[in-house]
Amino acid sequence: MAAVPAEMGAGEWGRARVVVERWRHVLAVPRPNLYRAERERRGAGRELRGMPPMAAAIGAPEAQDMVPAEGNHSCSSSVQSTPEIEKKYVHRVYDAIAPHFSATRFAKWPKVAGFLNSLRPGSIVLDVGCGNGKYLGFNPDCLFIGCDISPPLIEICAGRGHEVLVADAVNLSYRNDFGDAAISIAVLHHLSTDDRRRKAIEELIRVVRRGGLVLITVWARDQEDKSLLNKWTPLCEKYNEEWVEQSSPPVRSQSGTLLESIAETDEDTGVMKQTDDRLKKFHDGVEDKIIDFSNSKTDENEKNQQEYFVPWHLPFHRAEIGAASAALENGFAKKDEKKGTVVYNRYYHVFVEGELQRWSILTQQLYIHMKKLTSFPFCFYLLVSGIKNATIVDQFYDKSNWCIVLEKL
Amino acid sequence: MRLLTHNMLASNVRGATTGYPLTLEVTKWCTKEVELNADFIRGLLPKIDWRALVAATRALGLPELLPEDQPPEEEIFAEGAADVEGSAIRRIHHALLEVHVQEGSLVCPDTSRCFPINKGIPNMMLHEDEV
Repeated sequence: MAAVPAEMGAGEWGRARVVVERWRHVLAVPRPNLYRAERERRGAGRELRGMPPMAAAIGAPEAQDMVPAEGNHSCSSSVQSTPEIEKKYVHRVYDAIAPHFSATRFAKWPKVAGFLNSLRPGSIVLDVGCGNGKYLGFNPDCLFIGCDISPPLIEICAGRGHEVLVADAVNLSYRNDFGDAAISIAVLHHLSTDDRRRKAIEELIRVVRRGGLVLITVWARDQEDKSLLNKWTPLCEKYNEEWVEQSSPPVRSQSGTLLESIAETDEDTGVMKQTDDRLKKFHDGVEDKIIDFSNSKTDENEKNQQEYFVPWHLPFHRAEIGAASAALENGFAKKDEKKGTVVYNRYYHVFVEGELQRWSILTQQLYIHMKKLTSFPFCFYLLVSGIKNATIVDQFYDKSNWCIVLEKL
Repeated sequence: MRLLTHNMLASNVRGATTGYPLTLEVTKWCTKEVELNADFIRGLLPKIDWRALVAATRALGLPELLPEDQPPEEEIFAEGAADVEGSAIRRIHHALLEVHVQEGSLVCPDTSRCFPINKGIPNMMLHEDEV
């Protein structure tokens, strides 16, 4: 690995930031953890950053971001429980916008089409997070089974004659080794923790046979049109506790200031342009808050920022608008009078270069038992035993998405 | 829901040992003809749990459709088998791909948890206390 510069100064998105991220990935330098509150609650140990097992055993990540383990490291149930942010800003939103969303999902992505067409005739293909079923039946020589967490989207698929079910990507109800291939197209970026994203990849590998292929695509933080990045609505750490820990009932929004956005320019990136203003208000479903970007931490936060709300504009004339009135009432959605739409926010964790590979490399660690090393001032763990082997057979960046193809060994 | 799908579904409720096979309870079902692709059926068979498939056909009230034991390979791979009315491969094709369960439920054999099937769609989502 070539020497890399230490800290790139504040500036525009570009190759430099990607390099910094790659450096961080290799040396396992922890990045600021936006989920500190959640980690402390769980007492989680250090997560590996793609290091081989022995290196991980002897490596000593900086204590900066370490949290001492509190007794047993046991969150196998929590990884499959849906966090509040996903319930509010993924599940409910897609349920509310399903027909409109489906109407905009028709273009077939060439890379996905190519993957599906390369499969052996007679293959069983599992589309996990199939949405409106855009890819179901794409290759007529294969048999497709789709699943999604959104019942309204699944009903749209069923209405088109597809074989579908309602299921959770983090806890698939398929038995092991059944599929010949699996695809997860623009799904994992809606999962809000590293553990859940990794679990979803493990599930995809589990449900295909040995030699089966898995295609995963996710939104990239590094968009092809880099200027758009500045206009996403970032979620900042100080609001983390509120929308992760939120348990009180939603409060009606007091502010009249609205997000200014235009309609999605590209259905596959869904990037929204925001008003070019240093002070931005965003809607978190509880009350409006102001993110002040004028302080010195701004550029540092931006470099590490991977959590965003991306708005969806539902035009007033759509039939789904009827259900939107309840959402408006409790502050879950907002009106954009200028655009004539109701605005919902969708949660995204956008991926950096190497992030998909990081979780995939971890799955190659065969039957290594969990070890707790107490001779260091902090504790960390090697990967859990029993994870099936998978190897990366392809990886690429396409249309602002990071993509990976895995083969189950 | 086709019986092919039923054959691959398992209960993932916390506390289930295997969660497989799910017991099929049917209140409404139909058949939709689809062209037989013999090679496809032959390729599918190694994946299929025969007992679960037979149990599902019994639940539909089709006890005569499939034998208790999986037919021998010679019968499945025989030349022209697909053209014979009532041949094993045609029956398997019918069971796996032409039968559609529209209303009913899938019951976990370990926990008795019921997963509903409505409008042909199974809902396998678990509640908070089941994961």
